[in-house]
Amino acid sequence: MRSRRLIAAGAILALTGGLTACSAESRGGSDGPVTLTFWGWGVGYEDVIAEWNEANPDIQVEHTDAGGGDDSSAKLLTAARAGNAPDVALVEYTTLPAMIVADVPLDITEYVGDAEDAFTEGTWDQTRFDGAVYAIPQDVGPMALTYRQDRLEEMGLAVPTTWEEFGEVARGVKANDPNSVLTSLPPSELGFYAGVAAQAGSEWWSLEDGVWTVGIADEASLEVADFFEGLVKEGAISTEPLLTPEYNAKLNDGTMLSWPAGIWASGVFYGVAPDTAGNWAMAPLPQWTPGDAKVAYQGGSGMIVTKESEHPEEAAEFAKWFNASEDGNELLLSSRQVYPASIVGQEMAASSEPPALMPQQTTFYEEAAAISAETIPVTWGPNVNLAKMVFEDRLNKAIADGTPWRDAFIATQEAVVDDMKTSGYEVSND
Amino acid sequence: MTTSNLAPVKSTVARTAGRNGAPPKRGRIRGRFAPYLFAAPAVVLYVVFMLIPVLYAIWLSLRAYRLQSGGTFGRRVEVFVGLENYTAVLSDPELLASFGRMAVYGIIAVPLTLGLALLFALLLDVPAVRAKRFSRTAIFIPYAVPGVVAALMWGFMYLPSTSPFSYISEQMGFGTIPFLEGNALFGSLANIAIWGGVGFNMIIIYTSLRGIPAELYEAARLDGANEFQIALRVKVPLVGPAIVLTTVFALIGTLQLYGEPMTLKPMTNDISQTWAPLMTIYRDAFLTDNLPAAAASSTLLALGTVALSLIILGIVNRKKFGERA
Repeated sequence: MRSRRLIAAGAILALTGGLTACSAESRGGSDGPVTLTFWGWGVGYEDVIAEWNEANPDIQVEHTDAGGGDDSSAKLLTAARAGNAPDVALVEYTTLPAMIVADVPLDITEYVGDAEDAFTEGTWDQTRFDGAVYAIPQDVGPMALTYRQDRLEEMGLAVPTTWEEFGEVARGVKANDPNSVLTSLPPSELGFYAGVAAQAGSEWWSLEDGVWTVGIADEASLEVADFFEGLVKEGAISTEPLLTPEYNAKLNDGTMLSWPAGIWASGVFYGVAPDTAGNWAMAPLPQWTPGDAKVAYQGGSGMIVTKESEHPEEAAEFAKWFNASEDGNELLLSSRQVYPASIVGQEMAASSEPPALMPQQTTFYEEAAAISAETIPVTWGPNVNLAKMVFEDRLNKAIADGTPWRDAFIATQEAVVDDMKTSGYEVSND
Repeated sequence: MTTSNLAPVKSTVARTAGRNGAPPKRGRIRGRFAPYLFAAPAVVLYVVFMLIPVLYAIWLSLRAYRLQSGGTFGRRVEVFVGLENYTAVLSDPELLASFGRMAVYGIIAVPLTLGLALLFALLLDVPAVRAKRFSRTAIFIPYAVPGVVAALMWGFMYLPSTSPFSYISEQMGFGTIPFLEGNALFGSLANIAIWGGVGFNMIIIYTSLRGIPAELYEAARLDGANEFQIALRVKVPLVGPAIVLTTVFALIGTLQLYGEPMTLKPMTNDISQTWAPLMTIYRDAFLTDNLPAAAASSTLLALGTVALSLIILGIVNRKKFGERA
């Protein structure tokens, strides 16, 4: 009898004991060095964190890779709602407005206002909204054309400077070698289509006096849709998914010849086709109007401090050092291997070695700086993710069914406008 | 376990109490609490990990994030919207289409998985068959391969430039096989599930077969039945319950279709973000930040699963009673 009572008591103790143990652990000591948690994707954080932790014994940083841009922002939203977001996190410019609307990032203007001069106005505007700064820019991805120099030369094709020429080169590639293709531009790449539409003068989202206007299906964008639809329908370019085993095999055997994307494309290609290094080069992105030099950003990210952080000042300090200081930018280039967002970082880049994919292109970073100087400011809306999903599904369906691409653009705009209206935004579209 | 142990414990308590001359009341009270105490761990786990999350999901499905002004963009806050999410979900043609796609997949995958599992189990149960242990393990091994790994591996075998099948057909002059395009997609996806699921289902049916008393086979043989007739007339009816069980498992598995299309999605443009219902739920919950809509779809999917399971069990039971009558 006694033993049964003991077992019962033991069981209850074990249950409640487990619970109290949990709650005791999560309450960290407030004195002593501050520990910051930090989420970021990509390579090279070990060196960065090690250097910071050594120089700042009172502010220790713990890094977690919570997945790439999309995954990480999804987890960040969930974690913030659950009350266990990290102190600092890397967020893509495209999702920053959605984060702000969900109340994840802290307004850090008071902590980082002095870092403003480290960035060009166009870059700073990616993280500043209505005078409030929500993130410190880390890297930017001005759009460029990464292409197989050796194969285009062998086919006697010049590097295209306009999209018209791009189409002719695509046809030329097919005529020379039916197994090769100039590029693949799948519907999953909303960033590409948004970027070239911005080049054509379209604004996919714009905000004026509290009223949004969505331009995914404006005239300029629809013409962009028609143009690429034409190239795909005649078989000059493909829309196969990027970076699949299939696509990577084509990169390696030299039958996939270019990728118009952010300047980071060279790093991605080097990761999957290191043996082709030296055969590639980077050129400015083709233009809609001959002689223009404007490009949009595709990708790029900044570091936010979350509202939940108990040490916002220290967190902002870390973000500032990482992205705006000389030491931080050296690490961004050497360890993180990204194209820095800051002026000092881009100046440093100009004198550094070209990316591993094109060691022969010694002027790579000088050209990159020239491209970067002509970027178009782009406003991202609060529901870019929804746009991305709908765009991808609709455009894939249009390609499969052979229906006009512009219908997919129109459907995306409708879905985006509907969603914004349901959420309660004022939208000027009908 | 709990129920079978309770009866003897209770009687011992009563007896001990009586013999020691202690007031029998105490023992009875203790006896009355004992069942609850033994059931407590299961109940607590059920409440914490099942009931509360379910109720929370239902609560969430009645809410939505709506804009409240403040700052540049305003802030989205949670408000009560009643059944709005349900009307939105039910009037979404894409969600209905995804149920259609799931049904096609299920019609291919479920009968083939169970049919092959039954066939292999029966073959392994034939006395003359050699290398039984080896064959059983060989058929079972795919089940031990994690679903994502299996889907990735098949993905490589489907993509034209890495596929051995496409290589062979190309060498023969037929060109590559479009495994991941158009309607072939259904077969390709079902194939992964069949490959992984046959072994598990076979083991369940085979175990049930081993439990059939040998006298029945002997009697059938004396009556002049051959192995084929024994299999069809004796074995299959007797493993009926196991087949019902595996059918219910397979159907629930179909309703949970997610891993294979999600893993193959990056490899083909033909799998949309909303290809299967669970993919839509994932998209709403984690990619487009619409957790309430995801909760509404989840609730509907769960109700559908319960309904389907009940219908199947109902049909099976009625059939059984019908046989008995």
